[in-house]
Amino acid sequence: MRQYLFKAILQMIPVLFLISLIVFVLVYMTGDPVSLMLSDTATDEDRAILIAALGLDQPLHVQYFRYLSNLVQGDFGTSFRYNMPALPIVLERLPATFELAIAAMLFATVISIPLGILSATKRNSFLDIFVSGTSVLGKAMPPFWLGIMLILLFSVALKALPVSGRESWVHLILPAFTLGTGIAAEMTRLIRSSMLEILGQDYIRTARSKGLIESLIVYKHAFRNSLIPVVTIMALQTSTLIGGTLITETIFSWPGMGQLIIQAVNNRDMAIVQAAVFVVAFLVIFSNMLADILYRVLDPRIKYN
Amino acid sequence: MKKRIAGLGLAVILALSSALVGCSSQSSSTPSQPSAPAGSTNPSAENNGEKVLTIASGNDIVSFDIHDHNNTSTEAVHVNMFDYLVRKDAQQKVQPLLATEWETVDDTTWRFKLREGVTFHNGDEFTAEDVKFTLERVATDNKLLEYGNYKQIKEVKIIDPHTIEIITFEPEPVLLNRLSRLGSGILPSKYIKEQGWEEFLKNPVGTGPYKLKEWKRDDRLVLEKNDAYFGEKPKWDKVVFRSIPEDATRVAELLTGGVDIAVNIPPSDLKRVKDNNGTDTKQGPTQRVMQLTLRLTPGTVTENPKVREAIDLAIDKKAIVDNILSGGGVPTRTRVTPGNFGTNLDLYGNTLYDPEKAKQLLAEAGYPNGLELNMSATSGRYLKDKETAELMQAMLAEVGINAKLEFLEWSKFNDRYKAKTFNEIFMIAYGNSMFDGSLAFDRLTTERAKGESDYSNPELDKLLSDAGQNMNAEEREKQYKRAQEIIAEERPHIYLFQMNANYGVSDRISFEPRLDEMLFADEITLK
Repeated sequence: MRQYLFKAILQMIPVLFLISLIVFVLVYMTGDPVSLMLSDTATDEDRAILIAALGLDQPLHVQYFRYLSNLVQGDFGTSFRYNMPALPIVLERLPATFELAIAAMLFATVISIPLGILSATKRNSFLDIFVSGTSVLGKAMPPFWLGIMLILLFSVALKALPVSGRESWVHLILPAFTLGTGIAAEMTRLIRSSMLEILGQDYIRTARSKGLIESLIVYKHAFRNSLIPVVTIMALQTSTLIGGTLITETIFSWPGMGQLIIQAVNNRDMAIVQAAVFVVAFLVIFSNMLADILYRVLDPRIKYN
Repeated sequence: MKKRIAGLGLAVILALSSALVGCSSQSSSTPSQPSAPAGSTNPSAENNGEKVLTIASGNDIVSFDIHDHNNTSTEAVHVNMFDYLVRKDAQQKVQPLLATEWETVDDTTWRFKLREGVTFHNGDEFTAEDVKFTLERVATDNKLLEYGNYKQIKEVKIIDPHTIEIITFEPEPVLLNRLSRLGSGILPSKYIKEQGWEEFLKNPVGTGPYKLKEWKRDDRLVLEKNDAYFGEKPKWDKVVFRSIPEDATRVAELLTGGVDIAVNIPPSDLKRVKDNNGTDTKQGPTQRVMQLTLRLTPGTVTENPKVREAIDLAIDKKAIVDNILSGGGVPTRTRVTPGNFGTNLDLYGNTLYDPEKAKQLLAEAGYPNGLELNMSATSGRYLKDKETAELMQAMLAEVGINAKLEFLEWSKFNDRYKAKTFNEIFMIAYGNSMFDGSLAFDRLTTERAKGESDYSNPELDKLLSDAGQNMNAEEREKQYKRAQEIIAEERPHIYLFQMNANYGVSDRISFEPRLDEMLFADEITLK
């Protein structure tokens, strides 16, 4: 186990390095930050002065190596827009994003487990078809559309929930619902198929033939085993969740990392984009590792090497 | 065994998540702000008898470094915290603020008498030192984004603690305009020298009517009234600026009473805001003018003045404003719109539209069967830019001009713009934060136009260089009026319309939009 962990952490280094290179090149290809920083009426002279002052006149590889050497020292550069070190700005946003992501995940879990079990045990019933149909719909609805529809319904028409912002827990309901719907749909389908597979296994038939009551079979024998893939899939949803926060946070003006990334991309604030992508990459790799470990803990048949 | 572990694992995850949610939601509600009761959607109501004004804009302020941003909406917040030496009133007339009187000693020296008994929010006294520190910083540090607008200042001389002289390199007729805009808020020199910039950026202090209470980036910025303000007592106890980037959300906040003013209402939502019970819309002109820049480079079709005139006559600017912007603009033939020094009112508010004459001009120019040209425009940079360009393309086609339209995302557009590689026509909008005619012609002198429009007129060059340093206001005004006539006639630029700003406003307050788009809280009142 210790050896496995050590290896997994070592493997992160080349991945993060590669990500740094890709992000750097992509950000540079998309345009020049200086022209966005200065007003339309700035002269070419003003522009040249600022480019030189920011070190953007140097060749690309020189800029990359300067960036990389700073990176190794934990310095992600200074945000042009905020004129502050980039990493603390990104980290400052993490609690808000975590809060939203965890609420969405909780919502998805609470919805998907009973629905998944029900539609697996009542296979091909009206309920099963209804749940399957709804989960396709849930997966298909784009969050930007769903979010705005929820605002129009619950805030504007019914005046039941606040529109946007991050103040009290009621402000969390609509964004968590928006972000969680897609994941709930995905997990419902997953739990259903995982349950169906297990309900067809020999030991379930044995349990039935022994005359055990159905609810005991479903919850004690089948459901617990079907959870193994589900728990790991939950950990693997991190990237979906973070992708979803980009849109959800922007719609509900939720001051998290997703909104920060959108603003930074719009403003060509390279330092922020790089630091944020790095943090996201780290989170995804870390949660994948966590999923891996969880999987091995839950299912001892899997070996560590 | 393994089942138990599985169950345990899930339980731990669930418990952890709920604990985390609990923690973070607790930390999110600050003790200073009592959280709204569940279901309440009206934070701007006068809770505990407090008068709170809530304004929603599309983005948060950039920072509190007043010299290092270029952003009108950031300045619109800053003006409530920092005072200028002189201030423009709602009619854009210069009024005393931190400076009580001023005079020009000679062509390059201005003397200002400073207000006495003014204190910063931290209690420091405002003196000449602060003015010197503030203006010399932005005039000398070329890394600052506002450097280009202040580098004309050579030195700020302290005559006595409440008198200064500003020395400029060249005669500066627009100095007062420079000092009453972005970058001119006076900073506390003692505080910044002692505590450092980092501390100032976290806890900024100015002399203005409102002081910072809290700033949650990309969420909200809360100001509270400064009881020690030297001027009229602040009208609001608290002013909240919320950042809501999504248009639909911003409109929904206004409709539900979550905010009192929402800026940048999309034209398609204006009717909904107007019809809604409890809200109304306000439109006001801005400094932004949409225009076409034409190429006069030898060998292009637009080199011919008759072709340029035909293009101008073929475009019905009023139809664009009425149909695409829902009336949110004013057709104009000059970029120096009212409110700016040197405006030529003969060229404002009217448009030349005569498709028959346009056809005739094309025939005279040797194109009886029409002609082809290329036009570039942005998509998504300005309000309805794509629709505007498409409608223009159709109007040009009516008279026989087949314009090939190319849309570019802003950063790509900007690359071509800087490299000066556009073909016959490109569409762009310019603002004018200086409120002076000089800025409107900055791309039309022979030197600056080279490679872009390739326009050159020695008479205009001379007029502009004379006016740029002319300290006689009356003469200078005449020079700019004449310059506008020349441009309107020769058409290296064809101006289309001045853009309006659209605001949604709650019925409980009165608000009049300003030409400079500043949001002075004390100009906004409860009804």
